[in-house]
Amino acid sequence: MNSYCTPQDHINRRALLKGSLLTGAGCSVANFGSLFGADEVTKTAQKKGKRCILLWMNGGASQIDTFDMKPGRPTAGPFRPISTNVDGMQVCEYLPKMAKQFDKLAVIRSMKTGSPDHPDGIYHMHTGFKMSERTPHAEIGAVISKYCGNLDADLPSFVRMGPCGNAGPGYLGPNYAPFSLKRDGSMPTFSTNNLKPEVRERRADLFRFLESEFSKQHKAEPFEGHRLAKERAWRLLRAKDAFDVSEEWPKQKDRYGDTNFGRGCFMALKLAERGVPFIEIGHDNYDSHANNFVCHKANMQQLDPAWSSLLIDLEDRGMLEDTLVVWMGEVGRTPYINNRAGRDHYIKAWTTVLSGAGIVGGQYYGSSDEDGREVAENPVNEGDFFSTIYTSLGIDPRKKHFWGKRPVWLTPEDAKPISAIMS
Amino acid sequence: MTFENAKLVWELRWDVDWVTAVQFIGNSRRVVAGNRRGNMMEWELPEKLEGDAPDPVRFYEGHSNSVTKLRCIQDGSTLYSSSFDHSIREWDMNAKDQGETKVVLNEGYIYQSQFKRYSKKQEPMECDVALRKDSKKLGGHREWVNVMELSKDEKILVSGDDGGHVVFRDRASGKIQKSWNVEGWVHAVAISPDSKQALISERRPLVFDSAQRRALKLWNVEESKATKDLSEEFKKMYLPALAWSPDGKTLLVGRGEEEEGKIWMLDAETGEKKKELEDKHQYGVTDFLFHPNGKHFFSAGRDTVIRVWSLKDGTLVKKLGEPRGGQFKDWIHAIDITPDGKLLAAADMAGQVNIWQL
Amino acid sequence: MNFVNSRYSPTVSIRSYLLLLALFYGELWSEPLRKVIDREVSAGWKKEKLEPSKLANDETFLRRVYLDLLGMVPSYEEAKAFLEEESEDKREKLVDQLLSDERFGKHQMQIWDLSIFTRKPANPSFTKDRDRFKDWLAKQFNDNVSWDGIVQKMILAEEEGSAMFHVQYRNKPEDETVAVSRLFLGTQLQCARCHDHPFEELSQKDFYGMAGFFVRLQVLQETKDKKKVYTIGEKSSGEVMFTGDVREQKPGDKGEPVKPKFLLGDSLNEPDLPEDFKEPDYKKIKKAPYPKPYFSRKAKLAEWMTSPDNPYFAKAAVNRFWAQFMGRGLVHPVDNLTPDSKPTHPKLMDALAKEFIAHNFDLKWFFKEILLTKAYQRDSAGPGEEATPKWYQRARVRPLSAEELIASLRVATRFDAAESKEKSLPNATKSYMTKIFGEPVDGRGNFQGGIHEHLFLNNGSQLPGIIRAKKGNLAYTLLNSENTWGGRMDELFLSTITRTPTEAERNRMVGYITASEDKREIQARLEEAIWTLLNTSRFRFNY
Repeated sequence: MNSYCTPQDHINRRALLKGSLLTGAGCSVANFGSLFGADEVTKTAQKKGKRCILLWMNGGASQIDTFDMKPGRPTAGPFRPISTNVDGMQVCEYLPKMAKQFDKLAVIRSMKTGSPDHPDGIYHMHTGFKMSERTPHAEIGAVISKYCGNLDADLPSFVRMGPCGNAGPGYLGPNYAPFSLKRDGSMPTFSTNNLKPEVRERRADLFRFLESEFSKQHKAEPFEGHRLAKERAWRLLRAKDAFDVSEEWPKQKDRYGDTNFGRGCFMALKLAERGVPFIEIGHDNYDSHANNFVCHKANMQQLDPAWSSLLIDLEDRGMLEDTLVVWMGEVGRTPYINNRAGRDHYIKAWTTVLSGAGIVGGQYYGSSDEDGREVAENPVNEGDFFSTIYTSLGIDPRKKHFWGKRPVWLTPEDAKPISAIMS
Repeated sequence: MTFENAKLVWELRWDVDWVTAVQFIGNSRRVVAGNRRGNMMEWELPEKLEGDAPDPVRFYEGHSNSVTKLRCIQDGSTLYSSSFDHSIREWDMNAKDQGETKVVLNEGYIYQSQFKRYSKKQEPMECDVALRKDSKKLGGHREWVNVMELSKDEKILVSGDDGGHVVFRDRASGKIQKSWNVEGWVHAVAISPDSKQALISERRPLVFDSAQRRALKLWNVEESKATKDLSEEFKKMYLPALAWSPDGKTLLVGRGEEEEGKIWMLDAETGEKKKELEDKHQYGVTDFLFHPNGKHFFSAGRDTVIRVWSLKDGTLVKKLGEPRGGQFKDWIHAIDITPDGKLLAAADMAGQVNIWQL
Repeated sequence: MNFVNSRYSPTVSIRSYLLLLALFYGELWSEPLRKVIDREVSAGWKKEKLEPSKLANDETFLRRVYLDLLGMVPSYEEAKAFLEEESEDKREKLVDQLLSDERFGKHQMQIWDLSIFTRKPANPSFTKDRDRFKDWLAKQFNDNVSWDGIVQKMILAEEEGSAMFHVQYRNKPEDETVAVSRLFLGTQLQCARCHDHPFEELSQKDFYGMAGFFVRLQVLQETKDKKKVYTIGEKSSGEVMFTGDVREQKPGDKGEPVKPKFLLGDSLNEPDLPEDFKEPDYKKIKKAPYPKPYFSRKAKLAEWMTSPDNPYFAKAAVNRFWAQFMGRGLVHPVDNLTPDSKPTHPKLMDALAKEFIAHNFDLKWFFKEILLTKAYQRDSAGPGEEATPKWYQRARVRPLSAEELIASLRVATRFDAAESKEKSLPNATKSYMTKIFGEPVDGRGNFQGGIHEHLFLNNGSQLPGIIRAKKGNLAYTLLNSENTWGGRMDELFLSTITRTPTEAERNRMVGYITASEDKREIQARLEEAIWTLLNTSRFRFNY
């Protein structure tokens, strides 16, 4: 029996409404903001079983070399476009399999964002907010795991592998911290334990007892983070078979590509099947300030089979209508090519791609000018983008939380979801 | 020879896109260059090495993507070009022209001045040139053809692509004699003077992934098998430039792709490192070239400085040019030399062909 | 003034006269810095209407100060000695004692080494092995070389072992510029590398002006006693080339040389090289020393950077050291002091900088002043969940670094006293721990309860191996103690979490350990108990 306070246990309705939390055991617990008015929406989203898979192109993929090609222009580069299974729409010649899945994709070519570098860009594109030290924002995985996940499940609700976000669970608290697998999707080292279960249990109980004494007086966030992480590590031992895909992988590796990213995408499919609501797979490395074209060619040769197989498998299992697949990086890349044969960071006009979960595929949203220097139509900022993501997953994008006494919303006030691509 | 009096004679301006390849045509005063768009241009250099840079005379139409290498046979009759457009083309240097066309020699500058504040405004520099098309298109590749070399006896044309496909063909007929696949992308190839062996460097430029690849091997052409694997000696290095000395004894290996451009001389028999050269190209080597005198060789790289070396002992004899640029420097993509060793041409990224008198 | 006829005795009048003088000429009686700190911090609480937590008790203070100064928890003996001491000024005595402990230098070196090189140093083939530098830097702290002296020595790189800072940035003057500005001037310049800073006053020219100080440096590598030894030389010529906004750089841009310029300050006045000057060929020099340059830019930089007139140096330093002990700088983050950044306690910031300069950048003096304040000695218990409160109303909480964890585990388990073949932690353990515990915070310093450390602790055999009873270590000592089990709990708790157990804890522990009578079972359970204590928050954090 757990004898220490967890925020989700022992809450009574009155305490909830008051916004202050006194658990059944009588200890005062920090308001992580995760509980204020969340019940209704959580249940709805959970019932529908919505999921999200984020394909994170670390370093910032070049839009002109992937989805927003500019054939014939001086700065178009050496890649050539090919047609897709949708009339009039093209992709780079190195995404031939994705060309056959274009009818599932909504390609947003008019991203116009505000954080040009890696740490700030990764943060901004994972939270929808600019990095600031005033508020620790919650990243997309934490939000989705909270609203579409179940804290009591043995499998973590926020799984990731490869390079990914840097914001963490923020104001949602350490309950929604991510679980990181190794780059190839395998369990982190030290995932097995040789102790007898009863020894493990009694040790755990002793730990909880000692911690409860301490936490009565000490409320700082790191302590709670520490305790919750330990609990999660214990729980994980029970569930780790879910991460073992070694039996099925040999049949799938030719389809997904025998690469870390390919395996990660397959793992995401399997975890989504088991109800994990958010999985992020990072792909390294698109930050081609030098040798941009050979870098992107090599990356696309990995991206293409993995992404397309994931979409096909989700569709075959009838899961695509409830699973949002997001493709993005932290920044785009410049239309002009520098003297290192590279493209530098660019945030004035770039591209992200959404599919699944009611997103209407086979279309472009927004456009950039003839060389890709500025947005020509329908600019989309981070807030709008996140608003679209959350709305597709049944999450209220203006849901309010608290950090201390300060209110925080999931998306900024002027954020609007892109209704044109949502059904 | 000391090259003490070497000087830059002309900068042949062709500011449309990066100039990526260059070749002198036989014993003549003709020089042809290729660029990143797939265009090729020819100049005829005046006898007297002075005065303004001559205008180009001919435009070669055919390739639709970057020209990677140009190789001309010694009698100057046929030129070969390899390209990102998956093809190798043959050009009859004595054929009749097929028309005329206009080129704007400062097209790149004018395009850039839309966005960058240049102190001088330029009017378009138009130039009338003859137009010629390719005489033959050689297939066999389904990816970017990065490398193409002629054997010493000019009977064989070797080429390699980013799909790992290596092709040996009979130059005269264009027919493929031997081909095989290497595991990575073909980055550079050097063929032995007796055409029996090939030194091939491979890459797959991934950063953290286990599928990344960098390799260097010696191959027996007839058996299409690797005889020596030198990858350990050059672990984790991109090797975009390789060369085999005409006397068959020395291999030149150059590191690049923005890594520091060190050069090694290897013993062609054993594959062992004989020497690591004392100077290097900042940001990488791009090309090697042997002087017809058999005593010197040249290296070019991503720093617009061409280095002249002694083939006997690898000492640096002369540097031609200065590094150009800010934190990162412009590149010389390729270099070629006339058969009498008097003129050197350099394909300069800044949209020009530099002609040096040696 | 005539006192004799006054109603008051002469001495009282003299005192009041002197008091009047003191009021008018406050500087004659300069207030000790610790009082200034307490005054300003309390003023902050009043302004923000915050209730400070109570003062930390001896146990809390003891552990905190050991970790802050020596980077490890106190041993059982050290803890007992302090807790049993009865003098009123025992805390001050402890601070003095720790400041002269040899481990002090090593720990401060560790902190700076991590800042300078991070867990992934640039140029790892040269910098991964830097024991000579570490020894040199630890010695500077132990000898209490002044902070401006230490920074000067690192820039001049003339002493043996001090060259490693520059080696990291061999041939990369731009990277070195970013590092030097961040570490010693508290300024983040990296944005200005590619374009004019979007928000602050800094421009690309500022960046390249600073890079000019490093572009002439040369690194000479020799091998002595099978170890790599580095010397730094400086050429008399060579400039940084600047081509403008990187996004607009086109092939063909030649770039113009940029003369060195002090950050947001004056250009450097350099004498012209004499007509017949010939730069020696540095590639040919194989043995130290390098020839002296005609004019040393690095010497000028060292001088300017550490001068009391430099607007950034002292402020950046005091802010950083303040953050080291108090958890959070007066300007946060510590490497982002810009002309616009506002410290939370502006008067305090000025006072810290002023006094630090007035005391010639004396580090041990400065640390002592902070450690003896009431502001530092607050308890961390209290409402509110911020780990590092902005107004210092509660003591900060931070996770132990990987190095601190390793050192503390050794102390707590008495690993070094154990009679075993291994005299040092197995390398695999150290490298696992550095990897797993190395970066427990997100990019902004917030602790992230990562699951990986728990997998390692819960499932790995390393920690139990360190704990396992061997003659001389903690587990063995407790098993063979003559005390009652209840009594042994004091030693157990004090050794591991530097605290005496409550009655409830004592009883629970004894019950746990002695649940069975079997000797082997008791040993196993004792080792589990030690494991558990070493896994609690009270061990994991410095609070």
